[in-house]
Amino acid sequence: MQDPTAPIIKLVDICKTYQMGEIESHVLQGVSLEIHRGEYVCIMGPSGCGKSTLLNILGCLDQPTTGDYFLGGQNVAHLNDDDLSEARCKNLGFIFQSYNLIQQLSVIENIAVPLYYRGASDREMREKGERRASQVGLSHRLHHKPNELSGGQQQRVAIARALVNEPLVILADEATGNLDSKSGQEILGIFDELNAGGITLVFVTHDERMVERCKRIIRLRDGVLESDTIVKSTKQKTDRAFATEHSISTF
Amino acid sequence: MSFLNQHPVLRLVVSPQHLWRTMSLGLKTIWLHKLRSFLTALGVVFGVASVVAMLAIGEGASHEAQEQIKKLGSQNIILESIKPPDSQGGAGETRSMVIEYGITTRDIEQIRRTVPGISIVVPSRILKENIWNLDRKIEGQIAGVLPVYPEMRNRKVIEGRFFSALELDENLPVCVLNQTTAKKLFPLNTPEGNVVRVLGYYYKIVGVIEDEGQRIGGEGGDGGSSGDSTAQIFIPFTTMMDQYGETFFRYKTGGFEAEKVQFHEAIVRVNDTAQVVSRAAAVRQILQSNHKKEDWKITVPIELLRQAERTKKIFSIVLGSIAAISLLVGGIGIMNIMLASVTERTREIGIRRALGARQADIVTQFLIETVLLAGVGGVLGVIVGLAIPLAVSHFAGVTTVVKAWSPALAFSISVLTGIAFGIYPARKAARMNPVEALRHE
Repeated sequence: MQDPTAPIIKLVDICKTYQMGEIESHVLQGVSLEIHRGEYVCIMGPSGCGKSTLLNILGCLDQPTTGDYFLGGQNVAHLNDDDLSEARCKNLGFIFQSYNLIQQLSVIENIAVPLYYRGASDREMREKGERRASQVGLSHRLHHKPNELSGGQQQRVAIARALVNEPLVILADEATGNLDSKSGQEILGIFDELNAGGITLVFVTHDERMVERCKRIIRLRDGVLESDTIVKSTKQKTDRAFATEHSISTF
Repeated sequence: MSFLNQHPVLRLVVSPQHLWRTMSLGLKTIWLHKLRSFLTALGVVFGVASVVAMLAIGEGASHEAQEQIKKLGSQNIILESIKPPDSQGGAGETRSMVIEYGITTRDIEQIRRTVPGISIVVPSRILKENIWNLDRKIEGQIAGVLPVYPEMRNRKVIEGRFFSALELDENLPVCVLNQTTAKKLFPLNTPEGNVVRVLGYYYKIVGVIEDEGQRIGGEGGDGGSSGDSTAQIFIPFTTMMDQYGETFFRYKTGGFEAEKVQFHEAIVRVNDTAQVVSRAAAVRQILQSNHKKEDWKITVPIELLRQAERTKKIFSIVLGSIAAISLLVGGIGIMNIMLASVTERTREIGIRRALGARQADIVTQFLIETVLLAGVGGVLGVIVGLAIPLAVSHFAGVTTVVKAWSPALAFSISVLTGIAFGIYPARKAARMNPVEALRHE
């Protein structure tokens, strides 16, 4: 659909200002960056640096006060609510710290929610849902409710849900923050697999293990980019071995 | 088609599958909080139940009234003689006087001759006396009538037969009892073939006729409107004229009084139902010009019927308003809970929005949920509402009539209530900021 070398995310001079009573708070002050297909990016910074706001804007949940945001070539900075919803549905997958599954739905139903909002048929929802569930190793838990699953399993459901619409990019906010180290490790293994399969990941995190694996670290401070470094992961190989050991299937 | 498929609300219409999916999601959520949902729907349950039950009871009451009026005959005009009010007072003066009042042969003849389109005029005379079977007695009415009487008044002969034209011509002492009299005087054996005694005369019983329904608006008057438990016997009109003459004596406190009445009652049958009202006006005019005093009364069953219908309409409006108020209260209850539910499920709304739900999707979801809640309440309400009239009929002996449209109406109102009171909470849910909704604990 477009030049494969073109960035899938391009931020141009993004500013975000919140009006709090009479005080204006400039959370983002001119952030510009590009993210290309297949990247594994960690956004870091002290609390209050604007990284959550940046993630919300990247996730089309919030809109910049000024600046342009090209997502897959489309400028989404000033879309109306409906088009923004569609952009989220088509292009983005979300993973949250607290999993954010819908409690009254089963595993497969949770996975299929994004398809539902795209108007998919029952059959498509069932087939794609099952495929993604097996991809994260949850084929045997399709009809369980979220509260019957462990934290690690719930986060795997969330990952399957983020993948089901084949988005351009997966955004995550402290994806391993609520998990014990073993489940966290498993989840990180899945992310490695996904990235190896060409999926673009943009994460906000404090998790050192994640920072060790990612390919690029963006640091924010006081609403501006402090640094943007490409790193070479040395641990990837060992972790890939860990993932296979735990029978997490690939594409 | 694909465009239609994109809009969440239109999708409900064009895709039954999508509608079913949204509904099953709503049912799931309702089922998740069973007790709360039930309590929420309770207001609508009672509202709908009261609509159905009140309509059934109201319909039953008017149905009963209409049946009774129909018994009088919708083609009939009933004339009755009543004692004029001014002759009732002043007992001292009228002590030994014969009071002459009521419908006369002249009236009947004039009606017969001048009013077109009427078939028969059945006169009858009524006497109040004790009716005896050996030593059993009952106070009742002795009515001198014509053989066509049962047909004219829609009264069924239950046992035996009514007296015949031949018996009328021959002035024979035969009689027909009504049910009340038969039960009272002949509790064990069949009355047919036996005799009853009134004053000094004996009458052979040839049959039993059913009791008269309570007459609407025909209360009072000596002319003989009768409740359904009044004892009555019917004898040929000619026999009565023969035996009692035109003057009746009645003993009263402070003396006796005599009445001279030619006809106590007369029925005019109009051939065309549509003309009953205009013919009644003509009859009324004749009586007005013939009588100086108000010693007669005219009853037009079809007019009563129309009046009963008007009354029913007012009744329905009053009941309808009461039911509407209870549904309003039920609706407010639902809205209240849905608003709480929206707050409680802020997070879910945030998740759905993040995963691509449009505002319209969220509106649809919550609206369907509210409508389902109200609809389930409506179904329960219809069941309760159908059970109440059954119970009322069974235990209180009141007739109730459930019209097919009343449960349908009540149910649709409950669904409309769901829509009306669901829109605000649903819009509130849809308009939440996704970022804040996701942050909500």
